Amino acid sequence: MARFILRSIISTIVTMLLVSIALFVLIEVGSGDITVKILGVFATPEQRASYRAQLGLDAPVWQRYIDWLIGNDWRAKRKVGYPLVTATNPQTGEKDWYADVDGQLTRWKMEEGRLITLKRQEDGSVTSHLSSGAWKINEEGNEYFWGVDTKNNTVMWMRGEGAEVWALTKAGLRKEGDGPQKYIPLRKGLLRGDPGISLQYGRPVAVTLIPRIRNTLVLAGVAFAVIMPLALFLGILAGINEGKPLDRFISITSLGATATPEFVTGIFLILIFGIWLKWLPAVALFTSADAIFENPKLLALPVLTLTAVELGYIARMTRASMVEVMESDYIRTAIIKGMPKTRIILKHAIRNALMAPITIIMLHVNWLVGGLVVVEVIFGYPGLGYYIYKSAIFGDFNAIEAAAMVTVAIAIITRLLGDLAYTLLNPRIRYS
Amino acid sequence: MKAKTKKKSRLQKFWDSVSLILASRVATVGSIMVLFWLVLAFISLFWTPYDYNASDFLQNLGPNPQNWLGTDHLGRDIFSRLMKGTQVVLLKTRLPGEGNIIIPGGVAIWGVIGSMALGVTMGLNAGYRGGWWDQVIMQILDALIAFPRIVLYLVVIAALGQGDLVVILAISITGAPGVARLARSLAMDIKTRDYIRAAETRGESVWYIMFKEILPNASGPLLVDGMLRVGYAIFAIGTLGFLGIGLPPPDPDWGNMVNEARRNIFSNQLAVIWPALAIATLVIGLNLFADGLREEMTRYQK
Amino acid sequence: MNNLKKAPPVLILEDVAVAYKIRGGEIEAVQNVSFEINRGETHGIVGESGCGKSTVAWAVLNFLGANGYVKRGSIKFQGQELVGVTGEELRRLRGDQIAMVYQDPMQALNPSMRLGDQMSEVLTVHRDMDKKEAEKRCIEMLERVYMPDAANVMNRYPHQISGGQQQRVVIATALLNNPALLIMDEPTTALDVTVEAVVLDLIADLRREFDTAIMYITHNLGVVARVSTRVGVMYAGEMVERGTVEDIYKDPQHPYTQGLMRCVPKLGADKASSILYPIRGRVPPPNNRPVGCVFSPRCDYVREICHNKRPELLEFSSGVSVRCHFAGEIEADKWSPSDDILPPEIITDTSPREPILKLDNLKKYYEVQGSSLKDILGLGEQRYVKAVENADFDLPRGTTLGVVGESGCGKSTLIKTIIGLEQTTEGHAEFMEIDITDEISTRGEDVIKELQMVFQNPDSTMNPSYTVGQQIGRPMKRFSTVPKDEIRGEVIKLLESMRLGENYYDRLPRQLSGGEKQRVGIARALASHPNLVLCDEPVSALDVSVQAALLNLLLELQQEYDTTMMFIAHDLSVVRFFSDQVAVMYLGQIMEIGPANAIYAPPYHPYSEALLSAVPIPDPSAEQKHIRLEGTVPSAINPPDGCRFHTRCPRRELLPDGGAICETEMPPWRETAEGHRIFCHIPLETLNTFDPVITQKPEGSNHVS
Repeated sequence: MARFILRSIISTIVTMLLVSIALFVLIEVGSGDITVKILGVFATPEQRASYRAQLGLDAPVWQRYIDWLIGNDWRAKRKVGYPLVTATNPQTGEKDWYADVDGQLTRWKMEEGRLITLKRQEDGSVTSHLSSGAWKINEEGNEYFWGVDTKNNTVMWMRGEGAEVWALTKAGLRKEGDGPQKYIPLRKGLLRGDPGISLQYGRPVAVTLIPRIRNTLVLAGVAFAVIMPLALFLGILAGINEGKPLDRFISITSLGATATPEFVTGIFLILIFGIWLKWLPAVALFTSADAIFENPKLLALPVLTLTAVELGYIARMTRASMVEVMESDYIRTAIIKGMPKTRIILKHAIRNALMAPITIIMLHVNWLVGGLVVVEVIFGYPGLGYYIYKSAIFGDFNAIEAAAMVTVAIAIITRLLGDLAYTLLNPRIRYS
Repeated sequence: MKAKTKKKSRLQKFWDSVSLILASRVATVGSIMVLFWLVLAFISLFWTPYDYNASDFLQNLGPNPQNWLGTDHLGRDIFSRLMKGTQVVLLKTRLPGEGNIIIPGGVAIWGVIGSMALGVTMGLNAGYRGGWWDQVIMQILDALIAFPRIVLYLVVIAALGQGDLVVILAISITGAPGVARLARSLAMDIKTRDYIRAAETRGESVWYIMFKEILPNASGPLLVDGMLRVGYAIFAIGTLGFLGIGLPPPDPDWGNMVNEARRNIFSNQLAVIWPALAIATLVIGLNLFADGLREEMTRYQK
Repeated sequence: MNNLKKAPPVLILEDVAVAYKIRGGEIEAVQNVSFEINRGETHGIVGESGCGKSTVAWAVLNFLGANGYVKRGSIKFQGQELVGVTGEELRRLRGDQIAMVYQDPMQALNPSMRLGDQMSEVLTVHRDMDKKEAEKRCIEMLERVYMPDAANVMNRYPHQISGGQQQRVVIATALLNNPALLIMDEPTTALDVTVEAVVLDLIADLRREFDTAIMYITHNLGVVARVSTRVGVMYAGEMVERGTVEDIYKDPQHPYTQGLMRCVPKLGADKASSILYPIRGRVPPPNNRPVGCVFSPRCDYVREICHNKRPELLEFSSGVSVRCHFAGEIEADKWSPSDDILPPEIITDTSPREPILKLDNLKKYYEVQGSSLKDILGLGEQRYVKAVENADFDLPRGTTLGVVGESGCGKSTLIKTIIGLEQTTEGHAEFMEIDITDEISTRGEDVIKELQMVFQNPDSTMNPSYTVGQQIGRPMKRFSTVPKDEIRGEVIKLLESMRLGENYYDRLPRQLSGGEKQRVGIARALASHPNLVLCDEPVSALDVSVQAALLNLLLELQQEYDTTMMFIAHDLSVVRFFSDQVAVMYLGQIMEIGPANAIYAPPYHPYSEALLSAVPIPDPSAEQKHIRLEGTVPSAINPPDGCRFHTRCPRRELLPDGGAICETEMPPWRETAEGHRIFCHIPLETLNTFDPVITQKPEGSNHVS
């Protein structure tokens, strides 16, 4: 059994790694020029190049993948020469990067060719003064300096050669002098909980993602809690009544429900409950991220939609497994031993019948997640699925990568749990 | 003489399969639903009641003698749009580039063909060769399966943009792991048979054994699975259309029709219901058909 | 027969017919079956597959599925009519008054329930016994079926014990409530010969001890002879003959029974007794049975009336009843085989010929991965399944070598290694003076086409997707032995020599019977005119009457094509008749090899002796020595040191110190006569003193089970 579990865990890790590479390559390489989306189609090639450099997109793919996965502060640290740390910005509540210069949190900026040191005080305020003697000299005799700028990048300035950069402000692109030559946008990396900045919102992805994940877990959790017992019960009921009208009814209904796309089901439910019966609001307005906790009624239609779609599949799997078990030789043995029917079903059949579906159900969780995307879009539910959808439409790669990795992680972890449940149910594996 | 017997046996074969379908009530109902849409699709190639994209009528009309299913929010005939919408799904694929090149076979069909080709090749290699081949292929499949389907669609489309070929690619990639798993388990079962040993002792090549000895005997379940997958593909195309990232215009897309009509759901509910019903009936029809067929086939084997 | 008391029979079947509803009609699987079973009696029901013997058993239990039912007749159990009994009443009978044991114990036991729970529920449900006491009774019962470590077995799951032990658990469960009737449906068919022998002994013991009526269903005439007192022979849904075992075996009345007796190998003392005469034709399927006597299409004595009228059951004064119009008139002794079923004459060419295959200490090991953490990380010691160890023999051209052994003895691995499906681990193998230690993918076509194989399972030997013609033609096409346009003619020629006509050319496998499929399999193997054909139990899945025909055909073809053959079998009776040499394998090691006659007579290797003693012989007058092997076959992963057989050898005590040497040292090869070698520590002089295993009982003595 130890072997089986170890194998599952190793396979899970390898899978996650493969997925992350595939995802990264697909999006970063495949999605073309993100600057078109952000800067608009009228930006000049020069503006685009400048902005790409600011995003760190001029680095090679493998470098960006590593940065994305495990961060780049450790790499930037070697350039700067001081430890790089984060501190909370009292205004936004988000983390800012600083160099830790002998216990003093420090950043730099360039103004009119001069390097200015910005020192963060205990209360969050900043004192600035001219920095001197910080320049180093490279092989060509140019003076350069690696430091942390005010936009959370590790950058390299050249003395007297302030680059012209295009900065994106609320008012649009603005040309600035005194710009750095090189950018390393600082991040801790996905594995350390920092998937980067959302290009769409300009805020760290992690900050917006967490309440979304919570909302989705609530929705999925409630749906799962409704679906599982009901589906297993219906499946077993159909399985032991194989071929009878009850079985026909359950089978055909669940086939129909499973084969109907989520958005069709969702629309019909809105029509029925929202417009014709007027039991529930037809258009749910999620005024804030916490709306579902204030008004749990909003959950009703999304959960119902998910249930309609997922219930059938699991019920059908369970039914098929139950039918197979009921035809097996050991059930025949139990009948020939004169066991009462209820005992046969409860003691002999159910455990074996649940073994196959449980792994498949756990595999099926990523269907549930897929369904979530559609359901959240239909109902405007502020969850992970809606977030992925929005990010995908925008091309917000940091956001979509992070969110997709979360869904993949959920899928893979549930699969692992399914494997574990299978080993516990199946003595052949448990005792080997 | 010989040709005649061959012809007869082919006719016989056709009748055998028809009677197999008719033997199952479920499969019969399913095939009627699918045939209905197929016939409409072929008719639409030559004739639709009105121009599917022209706003010739009043907006949001209910069903009436001119517009059997009513009109939408732009005053277009819904029935004509539904008919036309079958084409991209079932009958034609529009290639990108100049000249509007169109190839026969709908996006759903090509998507499934793609996933079958990919999946069968991977599955047979994993199942028959076993060992390292199996480990590596299964690991790749596991990674693919780990993606929630729609997330993968979104990622592919976010990366590659919209278009018929992109949708085909997305369907192929998401479908391949399922096909591969099925093909693998069939291959693992079939490879234990003595006739595979016989082929090996004849020194046949690995590819010959996989595609000539194993594949023909796995084709039954694979075809049924393919049928189901056409259903999934239509399901997926509808969903993508609904999300606004499906098949591009000018052809109407059922999912997109639902999406557009949804915005006017208070003024015109029927405009939502018709395309939604169209998708549901076609997908359910294919499912019923495949399901009934599978049941009948296993009974036949018993 | 002292147990024929006046007590009424436990079970009486009268003119029972069982029918199954199918699409568009109904099939009578069983008809006109009547018999009764007394307390303390074992009643055998024997017949080939599809003859309806299991259906009779299921009918007694009223377990015929949704579409089966008893159409006519009555089944009385202890005076109570069983036909029509359903629901609660039926449930109370099952498992309590009537118990059943059937073929595959692994399938019959619930894989996810502890054995103790599966056993004790019979008591808690039927007898309202409390759990503790039930468990105690179960342990007692397990001990009565000689289950080692009974208390511990209660806590185990089915996959944790061996097949023979599983069957003991099933039998013990069946006996827990001391049922009046015990139905056994092929209870030993899935077991190895030596294990089967032990279980059969157990069944005989239990019948005496429990005084239960046993209905024993099997296809194996030898098994029936060993366990039953009376036997009914079934053919095509009817019971054609019934009587005591002695009467039926010694003087069969029905032409079918007579035919059966002629087509099973007997393993008697002389070689002539192993000549087989098949019954021509095949068993008709249930939906296409003849109008008159069911056996008429295959009967040698058929007359006009047989085709038109169903024979009545004729009863003789001896108690034998026969369903034949001419019962009593037919004398089995006067039968002579017709030309089409006559076996070929065995040409014993004594002139030595050059060896075509030379094996020199051939070894085949498989690497296995352990399950401990250390093993997964690759730090553990590499372990091997030692599937074949030191195979060392020469096979002269044109001869046949029979390889015999129980499952897992490495006989299949041996031929797979020779044919190149497996890579040789060590040693040397030469075929036609070409090295063949490599895998088939690296062999030249000239070697591949000379080495072909015939497979065991008729249902999987042919690819269901291709016609007979395509499949036989494929080797010709692949090796280009025949020009393309002549392939069809060549295939038809081959089909004809298989006694299959041209009309088989376009048939698909599903249109063929098991025997026909095997013939096509043989034709395919012979299509490239190979020099060496390896046969992996080609007849073991076939019914006896078909088996005999196929064996004769193989022999004939071998002589016609001058092919060399290796022939694998799991018991000694099949190979005797046409092998020139026989090798006996145990746990990867060849234990004894030599000319066929020498193997079946002393001196024996102790394992060969045990095997011979275990094979059930369909002849109640033959007497076998009673040698039973204890324990189970050890794992091939860590085979015992020294002699691999030492853990179970019944003859070890003959050596000083009870055979201490066997545990540590590999035995020497002891050569007895020309080419006969025995791998044993026991000196030849001692081995020579063994009595023959099979002898004829003196006339008139009673059958002892």
